[in-house]
Amino acid sequence: MKLLTHNLLSSHVRGVGPRGFPLRLQATEVRINPVEFNPDFVARMIPKVEWAALLEAADTLHLVEVPKGPIEGYEHDEKFLRQMHHVLLEVRTGPSLASLATAG
Amino acid sequence: MAALPTDSGWWPAAGARFFCTAGRGLEPFLMREVRARLAATQVEYISGKVFFTTCSDLNMLKKLKSAERLFLLIKKQFPLNVSSVSKGKIFNEMQRLVNDDPESWLSAISIWKNLLELDAKEDKLSQRDANPLKRKVEENDIINPKKLKTKQMQELQESRECQLEKQMEEATVEQGDFLTNREKSQEAFQNDVVKAVAAPNQKDLTFRVSCRCSGSMAKTFTAQEVGRVIGIALKKQFGWKADLRNPNLEIFIHLNDIYSVVGIPVFRVPLASRAYIKTAGLRSTIAWAMASLAEIKAGALVLDPMCGLGTILLEAAKEWPDVYYVGADVSDSQLLGACDNLKAAGLQDKIELLKVSVIELPLPSESVDIIISDIPFGKKFKLGKDIKNILQEMERVLHVGGTIVLLLSEDHHRRLQDCEPGGIPRNSKGSHTDEPGIEKCLNPGGKTDLSDTVSSSAETGGQGDLDKMPPFGSLVPVDHYRVSLGRTGAFICRYRKSPSSGR
Repeated sequence: MKLLTHNLLSSHVRGVGPRGFPLRLQATEVRINPVEFNPDFVARMIPKVEWAALLEAADTLHLVEVPKGPIEGYEHDEKFLRQMHHVLLEVRTGPSLASLATAG
Repeated sequence: MAALPTDSGWWPAAGARFFCTAGRGLEPFLMREVRARLAATQVEYISGKVFFTTCSDLNMLKKLKSAERLFLLIKKQFPLNVSSVSKGKIFNEMQRLVNDDPESWLSAISIWKNLLELDAKEDKLSQRDANPLKRKVEENDIINPKKLKTKQMQELQESRECQLEKQMEEATVEQGDFLTNREKSQEAFQNDVVKAVAAPNQKDLTFRVSCRCSGSMAKTFTAQEVGRVIGIALKKQFGWKADLRNPNLEIFIHLNDIYSVVGIPVFRVPLASRAYIKTAGLRSTIAWAMASLAEIKAGALVLDPMCGLGTILLEAAKEWPDVYYVGADVSDSQLLGACDNLKAAGLQDKIELLKVSVIELPLPSESVDIIISDIPFGKKFKLGKDIKNILQEMERVLHVGGTIVLLLSEDHHRRLQDCEPGGIPRNSKGSHTDEPGIEKCLNPGGKTDLSDTVSSSAETGGQGDLDKMPPFGSLVPVDHYRVSLGRTGAFICRYRKSPSSGR
């Protein structure tokens, strides 16, 4: 799955509620999948990102060039957007169909 | 209904007049779509067909998503009177459909040819510009099937007089080897173009008549009888030859108690059957209609938590591409089918698939902008408690102000309405009619579109406390539309999450 999706799902673990489940990433399962760059789309996804979870994932997967957080005026910063595009949409973890077992 | 005027198409100033068939209940969606997508004017819905005028070319017409089939209008006029008149006299009436105004037939056919020619030219141009380098390489290598067609069309257009029949046959045979099944239908369409363009004058046209009779017409005539009468009249009037197997021109006639309509089908394959969907689950027209109600905007997160084969997500992603789509299902086989579908449509980058259950979504609360789903019908889904759990979970993950569009069986729908002590008044104006859209659509002003529907249900809502009672927590019903799924009916229901009170 895209790291964007993983981020969304793992935010839930941190969130309120009894539902939680393991979303461990393994560095060996990473694939890079080129996706056409759409700056507007990426800019709109930035507010949805849970940064702590993203940085942790990036660390586990040994990703480089990952912004530490949204910078001011990110909507027009192409370098930032391209980096986020790569991290969120082009990095794939595990198989394309994610099988997520709920814990307990 | 007052007498209907005859129509004939003009070209190109006012645009050409068309009509579409649509599934019951989808007519309001189609009317809105032709206005939005094709800038259509003179849009009317009459007895199962939507008529409209537009200057759009085939490329745009091809994109219609809520229609079944599209026809170029030749004639729409008074219904034939079957009451007390002899059969012979009615046959004469039918012949008059052809003989009274042959010009209208010829002008419609020339519009049809223009449409196909224009499409062929655009195809040629786009291929010429596409890749000059690529073409050079390919000249030495494998022949690109698309390029082959273009070349052939060029040849045919240049040498109209010599042995057209023979060349067309050869083209069909050679292309057959290269093309896959899906492309074959496109190829068949290109053949239509070749034939239409190649027929040097109208006299060489071959044709086939398809007839439909409904209402009292059907009690008196068979479709074959009508077809034969019209066919003979056409042969006499224009000198065309009938070809039941592979005609240049298809003529479609529908005779019922409201009108007599004659048209030319514009595409061989119904619009409702999508080239980009490998295995359809839900009917694509309905899937698209649901997505069109969901107010999808760029950058939204759209979830289908019971996605099955992914039809709704596919239709939505094709139309609104700059959106983050997530599909979920508990069935491995469905998800595999969905995955196949995504790949076949080239949409695997746009749609994420998860194996999770709709009643336990691993998503943060208020993280989803839009939910669109086809709630499974049938015995597998127990009414009552299951529906409640599903809706509660959907409500949880939805942003305040977010939209939910569901396809509900009649049972589910009734169950949801009964759940609330007040319920939703069944006949609230603008949100529920038994004849889908008919009353609204026959307004003389002709102004029927979905925005009207929403505003009037808001109006009636203000009138009583009944409407203000949501089915679940903060989900407020906005509107619903009854649609036909073939043998059964269902409801497309839209809800919005209002700021919750005490949650």
